[in-house]
Amino acid sequence: MMNHLKRWKKNLSLRKKINIAIHIEGILITVISIFMFFSSRAILSKLNFIEDFDNINFSFLEMRKSEKNYFLYHDVNALKEVLKIGEKEYNLLINSKEEFMSKLGKKDYIMLLAILDKYLNTAKKIVNISSNADSNYLELTKNLREFGHHLTQFSIFLRNIQHKKVNKLVHQNAITLFIGLGIILVSQLLLWQYFFISLSKRLLKIESLTKEVANGNFHKVVTNVERIDEDEIGLLMKGIIHMANELEKREEQLIQAKKLASLGVLVSGVAHEIGNPLNNIFMLTEGYLSYYDSLEDEQKKIFMRDVREQAKRIKKIVRKLLNFSRQKKFEFNLVSPIEVVEKSIALVNNQIKVSNIKVHRLIDSNLPFIKVDVDQIQQVIVNLFINAIHAMPKGGDIFVEIRVSEDRTKVIIKVRDTGVGIKPEILPHIFDPFFTTKGTKGTGLGLSVSYGIIKQHNGKISVKTEVNKGTTFIIELPAHLENNLEEEKHA
Amino acid sequence: MPKKIIVIDDEEIVCRMTKMVLTKEGYEVETFTHSRKALQRIKENKFDLVITDLKMEDVDGMDILRETNKLYPNTKVIMITAYATLDTAIEALRGHVFDFFPKPIKIEELKKSVKESIGTP
Ligand SMILES: Nc1ncnc2c1ncn2[C@@H]1O[C@H](COP(=O)(O)OP(=O)(O)O)[C@@H](O)[C@H]1O
Ligand SMILES: [Mg+2]
Repeated sequence: MMNHLKRWKKNLSLRKKINIAIHIEGILITVISIFMFFSSRAILSKLNFIEDFDNINFSFLEMRKSEKNYFLYHDVNALKEVLKIGEKEYNLLINSKEEFMSKLGKKDYIMLLAILDKYLNTAKKIVNISSNADSNYLELTKNLREFGHHLTQFSIFLRNIQHKKVNKLVHQNAITLFIGLGIILVSQLLLWQYFFISLSKRLLKIESLTKEVANGNFHKVVTNVERIDEDEIGLLMKGIIHMANELEKREEQLIQAKKLASLGVLVSGVAHEIGNPLNNIFMLTEGYLSYYDSLEDEQKKIFMRDVREQAKRIKKIVRKLLNFSRQKKFEFNLVSPIEVVEKSIALVNNQIKVSNIKVHRLIDSNLPFIKVDVDQIQQVIVNLFINAIHAMPKGGDIFVEIRVSEDRTKVIIKVRDTGVGIKPEILPHIFDPFFTTKGTKGTGLGLSVSYGIIKQHNGKISVKTEVNKGTTFIIELPAHLENNLEEEKHA
Repeated sequence: MPKKIIVIDDEEIVCRMTKMVLTKEGYEVETFTHSRKALQRIKENKFDLVITDLKMEDVDGMDILRETNKLYPNTKVIMITAYATLDTAIEALRGHVFDFFPKPIKIEELKKSVKESIGTP
């Protein structure tokens, strides 16, 4: 049943939800208004009754005034006046029996009537005796006074009860109104929260998703959404995720195609690179064999030494190729990024000194560790340094920055030089294997190998450059999560 | 007077071996691993045969070919190359290249080709 309700709620469109919310709000306000209307009417009728009852009370007081007059002047007419007023009120109480009974309560009504009855009866008896000499006279007058006193006391008591009841009703009314307004206010707030805060939250989420798509982080979009509602916004979100999925697939295909392309570049590069030493060996050995008889021992030695040199050349290329194709097993260790960078700088320190170059360090405090193959990352940084040195034949500055990303998930190492920069037309090729602008002095493998190493570390390497201003290579490596570090230290 | 040959290749061993083979045959041979210097030398001096690598830093084989054709229409050119694209081959043949030598260079073929182009020393 609950599940059913949930699904039903989930399947509601945003428009329906807003409709329902507005209706609920309306019903709430109507109920409260109706309640206020009826309770106001009840108060009004109570107040009317109190006014009527006050008239009766007033008459009772008149009655007692006449009673007092009788005792002062012993004028029978005064007593007759008491009877006249009293009977009028008695009749009134009897005639409107229903109303009084319901308002005062049956018991109190009968009690009031009984006291009035006794009072009037006593008054009648006194009128009938009408002689002070009667032996009952004293007794009767005493009773009359007592009953009169009772009557006024009791009716005032009843009136006060009514008054209290009205007070209570008004009070209740105020409280109900207060609670009702409170409920409306809270439901308004909840609606606000639902429609605007949660809505705008989801819209912001969509905004951030589209940003990720724009930045090419398709995978983040696909994995980052934990909950999707079935309403209009949910549909929009689904659409974006679908789009990111497709884009991710395309990108994978593109990367695959690029890999194939760079394999082609690699193969032709290898053929060219290895071609020269192979040709040399071929010529040397052929010459050696052809002229063997006429060669002196020393010359033969030189031939063989040259052959060995050329073989070494091939070996060097093959080793670099193996590095490039990542045949070597990586050995990951937890290290401080500063340590890796400093070790790399130490390796090229001499070259830096003789090239009239100054190294400047810009390092964030509190850097997280990185889990890397130290030798490999060192090789990358050394490559970048050597390229920077080559780019500044007249000397200059190298700025090394080590930073941590704001969310502390990445360590960023930047190597900036003030060298010749890279021309836009060759920029797309610098990471290609064997691409070099340095002739036989360069291998063209530095950056492509570096690229492979950084990729293997789930990192990123990118470049910013301006001709004659300088070049910055930016390495991003995943930071090792800090709480894990503690655990590993303990282990 | 022996016939004069200039050999240009940025691989030192190619120069050395070619020089050895052709000197033994009786030709007078100069070698250059630096193509710009070689070009300078060609401008100063007439050679009977130019043997040059196609792909070189700075001044490449096609530049040498063009310059030689311009200065000395009778001088023959032999082109060495590891791998030639169709385009370079066509252009080289138009420029009166006498022969095309793919690497690796075979001594006997080299001797034969030189003899065919300029005759015995
Ligand atoms: N810091 C730099 N400044 C200018 N050009 C650079 C820089 N780093 C790399 N390059 C360019 O990228 C090319 C490829 O670099 P790399 O792969 O290291 O090979 P190599 O250094 O052997 O030429 C270089 O030949 C050069 O043209
Ligand atoms: Mg390099």
